[in-house]
Amino acid sequence: MAGNEVNILRAFYEGVAGLASAYRITLKHLFRKPITEQYPEYKRPLPARSRARIILTRDADGDERCVACFLCSAVCPVSCISMESGEREDGRRYAQWFRINFARCIYCGFCEEACPTLAIQLTPDFEFCQRDILKLVYEKEDLLVDHGGKNAEYDFYKHAGVAVKGDKGTHYQEAAPVNIKTNLP
Amino acid sequence: MWFLGFVLLLLKTAIVLTILLGLAAYLILVERKLLGRFQIRFGPNRAGPFGIWQPIADGIKMILKEDTIPQGADRVVFKYAPAVVATVAILIAAVIPFSRDAILWGYDIPMVISDLNVGLLYVLALSSLSVYGVALGGWASNSKYSLLGGIRGAAQMVSYELPLGLSLVPVVMLAGSFSLVDIVNAQACYPFVVVQPIAFVIFLIAAVAESKRLPFDLPEAENELNAGYHTEFSGMRFALYFIGEYVHMMVLGALVAVFFLGGWRGPWLPPVVWLVLKALMVPFFLIWTRATLPRLRYDQLMHFGWKLLIPIALLNILATGAVMLWLRG
Amino acid sequence: MPRLTIDDIEIEVPHGTKVIDAAERLGIMIPRFCYHRGLGSVGACRMCAVKFLQGPFKGLQMSCMIDAQDGMVISTTDAEALDFRRHVIEWLMLNHPHDCPVCDEGGHCLLQDMTVSGGHGMRRFSGEKRTYRDQYLGELVQHEMNRCIHCYRCVRFYREFAGYRDLGALQIAQKVYFGRLADGPLESPFAGNLVDLCPTGVYTDKPARFRARRWDLERGPSLCIHCSLGCNTVAGARYREVLRQEARLNEEVNGYFICDLGRYGFAYAGHPERPRSPRIGSQAVGWQEAVAVACDRLARLGPRSIACLSSARASVETLGTLKYLSKRVGSDHFVCFYDAAVKFKMGEIVSKLDGRTAVSLRDIEKADLLIGVGADPINAAPMLALAMRQAQRAGAKVVMMDPRPLFLPCDFEHLSVSPELFDVCLSALVKSTFDRERVGKHGEAAVTLYDRMLSCDPLDASVQARLEPLIAVVEGCRRPIIICGSDIAPASSVSFAADVALLMGEVKDQSGVFYVLPGANAYGAALFDAANGSSFESVVQEIEDGAIKALIVAESDPFRYVADRDRLQRALNKLELLLVLDYLPSETVRKAHIFLPTRAIFETRSSFINQEGRLQVAEKIHSPGTPIWQVSNKGHPPRLYGTGICGGEPRAAWRVLQQIAHTLVHSQNEISENDPWPVIGGECAVLARHHQHNGPLHGLRIIPQTSTAAFFDGDLDLQPKQPMDGHLTLLPVVSTFATEELASYSEIIQRVIGSPCAYLHSDDAERCGLLDCDRIRIAVDDGFLEIDLTVSDKMARGFLILPRHSRFEWQKLHCFAQGLPVEKIGNCTP
Repeated sequence: MAGNEVNILRAFYEGVAGLASAYRITLKHLFRKPITEQYPEYKRPLPARSRARIILTRDADGDERCVACFLCSAVCPVSCISMESGEREDGRRYAQWFRINFARCIYCGFCEEACPTLAIQLTPDFEFCQRDILKLVYEKEDLLVDHGGKNAEYDFYKHAGVAVKGDKGTHYQEAAPVNIKTNLP
Repeated sequence: MWFLGFVLLLLKTAIVLTILLGLAAYLILVERKLLGRFQIRFGPNRAGPFGIWQPIADGIKMILKEDTIPQGADRVVFKYAPAVVATVAILIAAVIPFSRDAILWGYDIPMVISDLNVGLLYVLALSSLSVYGVALGGWASNSKYSLLGGIRGAAQMVSYELPLGLSLVPVVMLAGSFSLVDIVNAQACYPFVVVQPIAFVIFLIAAVAESKRLPFDLPEAENELNAGYHTEFSGMRFALYFIGEYVHMMVLGALVAVFFLGGWRGPWLPPVVWLVLKALMVPFFLIWTRATLPRLRYDQLMHFGWKLLIPIALLNILATGAVMLWLRG
Repeated sequence: MPRLTIDDIEIEVPHGTKVIDAAERLGIMIPRFCYHRGLGSVGACRMCAVKFLQGPFKGLQMSCMIDAQDGMVISTTDAEALDFRRHVIEWLMLNHPHDCPVCDEGGHCLLQDMTVSGGHGMRRFSGEKRTYRDQYLGELVQHEMNRCIHCYRCVRFYREFAGYRDLGALQIAQKVYFGRLADGPLESPFAGNLVDLCPTGVYTDKPARFRARRWDLERGPSLCIHCSLGCNTVAGARYREVLRQEARLNEEVNGYFICDLGRYGFAYAGHPERPRSPRIGSQAVGWQEAVAVACDRLARLGPRSIACLSSARASVETLGTLKYLSKRVGSDHFVCFYDAAVKFKMGEIVSKLDGRTAVSLRDIEKADLLIGVGADPINAAPMLALAMRQAQRAGAKVVMMDPRPLFLPCDFEHLSVSPELFDVCLSALVKSTFDRERVGKHGEAAVTLYDRMLSCDPLDASVQARLEPLIAVVEGCRRPIIICGSDIAPASSVSFAADVALLMGEVKDQSGVFYVLPGANAYGAALFDAANGSSFESVVQEIEDGAIKALIVAESDPFRYVADRDRLQRALNKLELLLVLDYLPSETVRKAHIFLPTRAIFETRSSFINQEGRLQVAEKIHSPGTPIWQVSNKGHPPRLYGTGICGGEPRAAWRVLQQIAHTLVHSQNEISENDPWPVIGGECAVLARHHQHNGPLHGLRIIPQTSTAAFFDGDLDLQPKQPMDGHLTLLPVVSTFATEELASYSEIIQRVIGSPCAYLHSDDAERCGLLDCDRIRIAVDDGFLEIDLTVSDKMARGFLILPRHSRFEWQKLHCFAQGLPVEKIGNCTP
């Protein structure tokens, strides 16, 4: 019996002490300096690979990289990318129009991952909210920048094997075109 | 003469109401600031310096918000339930003495709106009434969350009414009166908390439960019931619930001060200041608790009320009576 | 029926089934590039290797080359097979370019799928990639030879299956090139199938180039309504516009392929000038107002003063509801065929075609003798020509009677006789196979017909000489089919051909008659139209008399068909109300007093009945609306929020017609607003049985099992119309891409139609002093018609064959019904 009472007392003591220590800890925090960063006054430097506003980059020649292959719009989990592709006079596939609805975008970066030409890239710039939701619908002119973004050297058409930016056989790792009119091996 | 008394009454009521509602409004800000600091944040600091305009901004927002009534709601009950909560909380303040009697032009003016000789019973009766606001609001909303919240609220408030009342019995025994003025006067030598620490703790705990605050906020448990009984309320109707809760906190603080801490009594400072300071200790404690403790489970809540608080309160009454008999010889 | 086990599952398959197909029946898709069920197997790509564990074959074998046999145990997932296939794909990828993002096949590319499923990711070989120069292959097919994996599907289809010679394999070893000797459009009207067939992106759809990925298309089963065959297609739409059509497998109809007319003819639905909102006069109005005004004006007219016109391109739903409306308003006139002769022939066909004689395209492929009677498959129904080639490849003999210089992608015997001689020729061909006793089973009328066949006038000696060897063929054949046109063939031939087919059924294993009809739903139109005596001629006459005051035209354009346009114009001007429902920017639509826009086949569920009486359903592919590129003018689409779809007003014609009918006779409650079939069933007993027809995938034949039509009792000995001296008989004929109405509104088809070309026999040309390739000028009432001339000696004499070409105003020649005087033909060769 006595042992039981001791146990109850100990439990009571431990309960009260536990509560008290909890109260003590919270009270201690009351006097600590808040760690909140005051956003508009202080802007935190973001890592280069943080994911916010999407841009369309250009290749080393200054030509737009996007070939409107529809991979970004296909992979987009919220379907915020839409486009229509077309053919330029030089045979190059390009986006006739390209639209990202940032009101819907969740900045997951799948589009960047899917992009085979490194055209679509996410940048750390996140401050572009608008009161008018239609202003968050960015068109190609709004998205297109005049630099190469993260990998400025890459040029899709140098690897693709289609006769754009040079004839067949003139690109990276290509043999001269087969002459179909000869019998020589 | 009766006319002067009537004017005085109105005047006192106006002053008390203003101070009470003002305090309640700023209590919201204080709570948010304090919670922020407890969590090493700033709390609201955008509206005015240190966010002092925040309550006003909130008020404007609440007033301007659309007043929606859910489909299938009991419209009449839905409209009046929030008022019950706020009214009841405010009415309690009528019996709280906030200073010693003033002598003005030879007249003795009691610094209480109404010195009821059954003041304590009045307090208990009113605080029981606020359960209607909760239960009816929850029922009238025609929403499962509200209904569950309302049921929980009713059960919890009814349960904790008992220890609340029982914890005050020793106070009445000590003071020998139900009048709050008399109770304060009885504490001229020492506050009752010195002789009734157990009653004080029980009252405090029951008061937390009565005001539906953490760790007893099951009726509005956000992560289970959205916002419990006031899920469907918006705009000023929601604001009334909100005001009711914070006025209730203030009033409870004042009651704790009156019953256990000697009311407005205290050295150096004016009596009203003492009362407010003492009364603010309870809200501060409630906020502190909110920052510290998690929510109880429903069975724990009931278990704690019925199996722990009520027996202890009863024992406390017996012990107090025994000691008083023994002292009297 | 061999039983074999594939991946531990047992299956019994018919004899001659390849292992790869047996696996597919189990839902196991063995990877393949070169194998295609339509083309057969060659075993070139080595991709379908599976492990044979037990049975007559052992080890790694190509599943497309081996017939399923009893006791085979096969594993498709054996480690050795997997490894083999992984290596094959890696080899194939050695030279494959890195251009999926700019390749239109990406998204539905077999090579992509196989590469991913085979686990090949990085190219290990670091040498140079082989490259080829691409060719210009016309406006329909884009060539990108670098992508080729040398499965030979293209040349196998193009040369062997379709029978054209201008695309083939060039060069040797690992430089093999698939293309033409020189740049130029592909000659075959089946070239579009290369797009479907190519397992990668060597041949891609040029009109849809860069327009959409497969995953973005709203796709659904549809039908080709450019000719009467009813080929099944899959239409894919994006941004409110059909972009691509592919062949949909229907074993009974088109098999795996469709012709280019069907594949690329869809663009009429997205025509930039397509009228999309209701109009009163030239004022665009809302639906409610337009219908209310139309009903109001119709209600003011007497019961007999309304005529209804439709056409063979309208769906069963449109026709049925229009017929219902015409009855409800008490109209005597319901016309679907503008030419009384065509209407008569259609009536004959509908009454004669039954379960005993009707044959599908698939039956044609199985036939061993095909007798063409006034049919020009390549021009009138291209897929028929493809089926005929398959029959011919399997050993069938093809005999064609036609005055035209026919072309078929197979060998055939051409009897260039004038249409009046078809009956005699046919009779001469087949009569020796009959005997009186067997004919007698079909009753007295059959015997009478047989007697008349025996007593026919003898044919011209030269023709008889050509017929002699063929008669032996007819006697020896087991599965003859008569292919009968409905265009130039006289009504007697249409009727007689069916009787011959029926009688031949007595003496042969299987025989049939295959009609080529004038329009996708000609059979359906005839079902509704045939019973009444009204003709378009009588309608025009009554308009001129003032008896008919209102004309309801549903999905039809009389201006396109009638010869005398001025008369039609004058008649329409006399009308009090011309109510037009259509989806084309046609001449009639422009003249409409009230116009109501209707939905094209892609925008509403609609049914069509093809030439063998097969009811098929095309599902709704997309909601109607102006294609986004037309709204946005190739720029960004407008940045607006709205609830409506721009240009989304068109409604299904049957809904509008039903609404008008109900408004006019105030009976809302009896007929469902959402189902046209109760109304259709009420108008046509045959279709009533298929009331809740949800369409089995291969369609549903609605023809009677045994028709009650009488045997042909007319004159078999039609005398060839002897044109007056110095006159040529004019024969307006169909032309593959240029005649069909819908295709003439299809911008893509307009890109590929050739210039119109007239044909003249060399003797006649000599007589007129004309040479091949001359440009001739024909003097008509108000001016001249110019056309290039081709001189041929493979056609009947005395004919000038002119195409009903959309760039040639053949309608103006109506004044020469009695023959064209030679002196009206001038030479204007520059």
